[in-house]
Amino acid sequence: MNLNEIKNDKVVIIEIEGRLDTTNYNQLEKKLLENIESNNKNLLIDCAKMDYVSSSGLRIFLMALKKITSLNGKFVLCGLQENIAEIFEISGFTSIFQIFENQEMALKVF
Amino acid sequence: MYFMDNNQKNKNLRLINEISQLSAITDFVENLVEEWELSPGLAMSLNLVLEEAFTNVVFYAYNDEKQHVIDLNFSKNGDQLKIVLTDDGSEYDPTQKPDPDFDVPIEKRNVGGLGIFLIKKIMDTVEYQRKDNKNYLVMTKTLKL
Repeated sequence: MNLNEIKNDKVVIIEIEGRLDTTNYNQLEKKLLENIESNNKNLLIDCAKMDYVSSSGLRIFLMALKKITSLNGKFVLCGLQENIAEIFEISGFTSIFQIFENQEMALKVF
Repeated sequence: MYFMDNNQKNKNLRLINEISQLSAITDFVENLVEEWELSPGLAMSLNLVLEEAFTNVVFYAYNDEKQHVIDLNFSKNGDQLKIVLTDDGSEYDPTQKPDPDFDVPIEKRNVGGLGIFLIKKIMDTVEYQRKDNKNYLVMTKTLKL
């Protein structure tokens, strides 16, 4: 998995590329916590290049959503591939996350 | 007219209780999908099911620091796929874990039990058996041919 971070004055975009699983979820966790601790409360996670996610990864998304929501920030996702969207749906995540088709559409909420 | 596929297939994968073995599972599933001509979309679902079941055992089944063997058996009979995961860990029936509650506010939402829930949703049947001091997780799915 590769994580690519893009910062601008409004939002931090983190692009996830590859597999997010039990062997590497802590890399994403670390990056998200670093941002939250640096008071970056507006995060956009671009999943367009993420082709696999297991419950370890889903757990990190939920952790970040809870923390950022409690800080009155925004934690937004975009670009879910079809099979990933299905896993989100099964996990009941579709109704609790703000999910957009692509970065351009997602950036409008910040 | 029915297309009868009576060809029974069987494959085994022997693993040890280390998370690094996940890549062996991924490679195995990739080969299995190709060899048994399963739909490519099934690969991700199978990887997910196996990761959840395998990591559950690695993280929670053992009370010692010793190396243990975890066996995966795959069989296909016509459109029936069956996967059996066997481990010699302590007795634990993951199918009894309550499903996650989706009707609670975000701050109370807990992801505990999401792994086994995903397995139950992806597979058609998930059963647990305890025999000869071993745990057997038996999972089946009807394949779309």
